[in-house]
Amino acid sequence: MEEKKNLLAKIPVNVLIGLLSLVALFPFYLMLIMGTHYNEDLYTGIKLLPGNYLWENLQTVMKIDYPRYYLNSVTIAVCNTFGAVLVSSLGGYAFAKFNFRGKKGFFTFVIATLAIPMQLGLVGYVLEMKMLGIVNTILPMIFSGMASGFGTFFMTQFIGSSVPTEILESGRIDGCTDYGIFFKLVFPIIKPALITIGLLVFLWSWNSYMVPLVIVTRKECYTIPLSIAMISTEFRTDYAARILSLAISTIPIVGLFAFGSKYLIQGLTAGSVKG
Amino acid sequence: MIAPFFILYFTFSLFPMLFSLGVSFFNWSGFGQAKFVGIENYVRVFHDPNFYKAIKNTVIIFCFSIPIELALGLMTATALKDFFSRTRGAFQLFNFLPYITTPVAVGIIFSLMFDWKSGAVNALINTFGGTSVYWLGVPWASRAVVVAMIVWKGYGYNMVMFMAGLSTIPDELYEAAKIDGASWWQGFKKITLPMLKPIFVFVVTTSIINAWKLFDEPQLLFSGEGQPIGGPERSVLTIIMRYYESAFRQFQFGYGSAIAYVLFIIIAIFSIVSVKSMNRDNTI
Repeated sequence: MEEKKNLLAKIPVNVLIGLLSLVALFPFYLMLIMGTHYNEDLYTGIKLLPGNYLWENLQTVMKIDYPRYYLNSVTIAVCNTFGAVLVSSLGGYAFAKFNFRGKKGFFTFVIATLAIPMQLGLVGYVLEMKMLGIVNTILPMIFSGMASGFGTFFMTQFIGSSVPTEILESGRIDGCTDYGIFFKLVFPIIKPALITIGLLVFLWSWNSYMVPLVIVTRKECYTIPLSIAMISTEFRTDYAARILSLAISTIPIVGLFAFGSKYLIQGLTAGSVKG
Repeated sequence: MIAPFFILYFTFSLFPMLFSLGVSFFNWSGFGQAKFVGIENYVRVFHDPNFYKAIKNTVIIFCFSIPIELALGLMTATALKDFFSRTRGAFQLFNFLPYITTPVAVGIIFSLMFDWKSGAVNALINTFGGTSVYWLGVPWASRAVVVAMIVWKGYGYNMVMFMAGLSTIPDELYEAAKIDGASWWQGFKKITLPMLKPIFVFVVTTSIINAWKLFDEPQLLFSGEGQPIGGPERSVLTIIMRYYESAFRQFQFGYGSAIAYVLFIIIAIFSIVSVKSMNRDNTI
């Protein structure tokens, strides 16, 4: 009886979740399929099966210097990720395990930065980069995400709750410096948190649209999102090629998250559950 | 050890913010002489019909998107927890995928899906005998598409939040309720919902803060059409879009910065109020 009742409840729920997942995945599917069709065919009706125009579309994509934009995006995201992970974990370590003057004030400041919209300083940032003379490089996009208030806050919470103080003391007795302890003893323990912050920063950097949009003036510095949005003018009739380039830019990040989703989900929720 | 964070933050975030604040008291296009105008830019913000339009659009959009997002997120989270065990991970990933997709891709794919002539959505409507809707040409339909984009992108994130909240509810509560003869629905109403209240508050607050900063999706929905910023009759113009238009299209750096600071004040007031009300709830 109990079993039967469960089964009766199970079927509609299964159908519902199945349908919702289909809706969630449909645009992805459409993206993959549309990239393999000849552009003119896209206007003749909806395509649900792959076409045979993949190779030609790929050639169109290559013609617009796509590999270069890809490389820009990868460089920016990787530098950003390593920088932010290092800066956040160092800061978190200090906030969680050391006492220093003004600690409370500094930490309040870190929390306050969480509420400030990134766009607030954008005009000043562009002007500052112009003055530094690096507005035509990819450096502004690397710098903009480096000091992550969220990362520092998250690391402070994580290190505070998962790194036992005894380990630090034993390291000190063995004659390690504070940085030695950090890299040799603390780093291995906080690996899940490092992966979480790394994935999030990579995601934000990879998807970032507004910062490149207002800063980049030279095509050589385009990132993928920007190139896809901007090249619409040259490329405007060739939706198939645009969609193919979208697909190529989405696949790596999906792979990365399939691998790291466990950590990511842990990380996203840490703030809310503890908070 | 906190030095790297603070040095980087001061150089690349705080300094630009203060710089923007300074610029907001001037009329300046980035070139030539800046002219000091006092609070004139701020006065102008409050007399700008487009600014009010942007506020109205944002409020309309989030009044629809947030409840739908919450309901879908909560529904998937509870369903996955109670009815799926082996396939939970896979379904979790499927429903979370939209959240990690590049906003540019979301904008372009949705603009194609909702295309008047060749879009998938109108094709579906036609199959069931309905007439095509000119989604991206009518103000209300455009807003509906933006709501659909936000919901599609965001409910997976809410689901993850709710799943984390659900995992903190002890199983004993449900077992005790079951012994007392409570149905699944009663358990959901009397245990799950009250226990999830802190997560609700958190998710709603962050959703509203993010809604004020909406830019990428509505901007990109109309990027390929050669239309003016903000869609038909500027029905999806948001504050950040107005900011972008003023500061970076018309090069009114001072006026743009003033818009950004007014937005910041809106968000700050909102954050303080919600943090206060959260703290009050906790003490009861």
